[in-house]
Amino acid sequence: MTPPAAPQSSNEILVVDDVLVRFDTPDGSVTAVDHVSFGVRPGEFLSVIGPSGCGKSTLFNVIGGLLGHTAGVVSVAGETINGPHQSIGMVFQEESTFPWRSVTDNVAFPLELIGMPKAQRIERARHFISLVGLDGFENRYPNELSGGMRQRVSLARTLASEPKILLMDEPFAALDEQTRLLLGDKVLQIQQQLKQTTLLITHNITEAVQMSDRILVMTYRPGKVKRIVDIDLPRPRTSEIVGSEAFGRYVAQIWADLREEASRGMRDEEDHMMQPAGSKS
Amino acid sequence: MSMTATTPARRFSLANVLPALTGIGTLVAFFLIVELLIQTNMLSRFIVPPPSEIIASFPRVIVEEHVLQRFVQTLGECLTAGVMLIIVGVSGGVLMQRFRLLQQACETWVAALASAPLVLCYPLFLVIFGRNAWTIIMMGFVAGLPPVILKTLEGISGTRKVLVNVGRSFNLTSSQQFWKILFPAALPTIFVGIRLGLIFALINIVGVEFLINFGGLGQLINELAERYDLAGTYAAICFVVLVSVMFFMAVEKAEKWLTRAE
Amino acid sequence: MADTSRVTPLAATAPVMSPVTLLRIAIILTVLAVWELLSYSGWLYRDVVPSLLAIGRALIDLLTHGEYYFNLAVTAGEVGTALLLGGTCGLIVGITLGANRFLSKAFESYLYYLGPTPKIIFFPIMIMWFGVGPGSKIALGTLSCFFPVALSAAAGMRQIDKTLIRVGKSFRASTAQMVFKIYLPAMRHPIINGVRLGLGVALIGTLLAETKLSNKGIGFLIINAYSTFDMPRMYAMLIVLFILSIGANAFVGRFGGLDTIRRN
Repeated sequence: MTPPAAPQSSNEILVVDDVLVRFDTPDGSVTAVDHVSFGVRPGEFLSVIGPSGCGKSTLFNVIGGLLGHTAGVVSVAGETINGPHQSIGMVFQEESTFPWRSVTDNVAFPLELIGMPKAQRIERARHFISLVGLDGFENRYPNELSGGMRQRVSLARTLASEPKILLMDEPFAALDEQTRLLLGDKVLQIQQQLKQTTLLITHNITEAVQMSDRILVMTYRPGKVKRIVDIDLPRPRTSEIVGSEAFGRYVAQIWADLREEASRGMRDEEDHMMQPAGSKS
Repeated sequence: MSMTATTPARRFSLANVLPALTGIGTLVAFFLIVELLIQTNMLSRFIVPPPSEIIASFPRVIVEEHVLQRFVQTLGECLTAGVMLIIVGVSGGVLMQRFRLLQQACETWVAALASAPLVLCYPLFLVIFGRNAWTIIMMGFVAGLPPVILKTLEGISGTRKVLVNVGRSFNLTSSQQFWKILFPAALPTIFVGIRLGLIFALINIVGVEFLINFGGLGQLINELAERYDLAGTYAAICFVVLVSVMFFMAVEKAEKWLTRAE
Repeated sequence: MADTSRVTPLAATAPVMSPVTLLRIAIILTVLAVWELLSYSGWLYRDVVPSLLAIGRALIDLLTHGEYYFNLAVTAGEVGTALLLGGTCGLIVGITLGANRFLSKAFESYLYYLGPTPKIIFFPIMIMWFGVGPGSKIALGTLSCFFPVALSAAAGMRQIDKTLIRVGKSFRASTAQMVFKIYLPAMRHPIINGVRLGLGVALIGTLLAETKLSNKGIGFLIINAYSTFDMPRMYAMLIVLFILSIGANAFVGRFGGLDTIRRN
């Protein structure tokens, strides 16, 4: 049932080893991520899926180095992470473009930070803008773009820092279904073109199956690894694969796992809703 | 849920009182240090009178300078200006909203006027109205007018489309549409405008009283300063600041109470 | 109101003058005509409503004499110094309060309620501290503009989108890079707005102080025109003053919304 655990081979570029995250709240400590271990291989597309409240966003922040963890080790190419690491590029769920910068200046941001000369960084930025399909929008400002386009700017900005690992937290969550599917295609295409190692955090099963080589299913609070599923679908893939029979089987299989966890989560939330009335006295 | 619902309530006392205590403590400490500096002659008492003297002169100022009477006078000026503000400002805003062309022509003018130092017209008002309460009232009125007009306009124009459509779906006449939909929907914003207008009116009224040496609380400061009554001047300034702060709080409370349904 | 701004450019492209422009012209002409009538009717005290010709002559007289520009420079210098001093203090205090919840809870309500009190009443104290010269005017202007800048900066600091801060951190920006590439640009709207409000109240504070006690500056000229009962000159000075202050305000606003980010 749960074969994954221990990081086996040294060819894994990102290793999450027995990571534990515990928060202290006034009511005692809450475990958000409970001894999670897995590894990501170079060039691989791995998705982490779980119901809301399974600590997957916490995991995202820990791997990205924005949040400390209580125990365990996260390492990239053998280097232990404490703080944001240059090999990891993050794409956030929320709107994260800088409204005061044009598309080009947004994408050139990480290059500016490392002091790359202006002409050179603009050229690099153009390259990545073109990669995400925003040619012709170089001089626009974020408020002149749609939500999907803005998210593509964020993606291009992160890619411009040429990270070894692309780490994304539900990057399409705020978009409508059609945009989400098309943008998924774009990400897949770029990922295969750049052989980009990618770790996607999501709660969307279709999205995960469509894109991933492997899917890691997490349990509801505390977040543990429930199962890792290999997705053996042919590549290159597009959103058309969504209709195939094999695709349906994977979705059903993962939903069976997830459903159990999600309903546990719902029950838990209902219990919490009931409490304040009693505890008020 | 229960976590967030109960624990803040329990911690409420300590977490909220500590910063407040720090604030008051700093203030008290500041006054104590000033007092100490003056008593040790490191600070001239002819520039800053000792806080203890200021506090001691409070009762004297209040009794001898007819503070209550002055307070009533200033308040009366404010209320008169306020009533005029509400009548002229709100109806001006409504008028501009009803006649779209008028709004397009004049809105930027009103907005520009709001950023002009209108109070500098007080010598002009002195000539027009003479040295009496009307100069002061009109100055407060003029200074407070732009925000009331602009906020009224903003409130009515900003009514949510859905609400307007609901009105349409019930076949309301245009006056029904205004009184039953647009105006009530705009009320909270209009109250914000009135609050701003009243605050501007108060500031300018007290200011002009001080400048032209006529009327209520503003004049009190001027008189004490001209008499070189140092402690008295400081005490009067403290008193006026306290009164204005209380006025803002009251206006704020009134606005909250009037818009409590929202 | 969003609708109107979209309508106006359409109207502006129309071949003839738009109805809005016509109405504006009509309103201005009516006001001027009524004014002129009043001035000839003699219903009001003499010179309270001087004829347009007299005001025009006073305007030309004002603008062609070096004396006015000297006093304008004095006032501009006082307001500029006040804005610089009060704005810098306000920015520092505002950012400190915005960054620290505890300090904000302890002190911000004092600023919030002291902010709108009439500052001119502190003028007697300022005279005692800084004398009757420009010092006391600058002090009053500084005191006036400190509050709006501090309050806007504190609010702006708290409004910064946390995601943008996380983006900066994820790219391992240094502290200086965080400040200059993220915090300050993200706060530009509230800061510019605070400076705009600050400029307005610094101007009022300085000018009022000049009308109360001074021997130079625009405020002095205005009160001087009052005491010599030179109404056309007073009108001329108020007109120029309003145009200048509205222009300065619009300039700061335009400067703040410089690119296409007005809608944010």
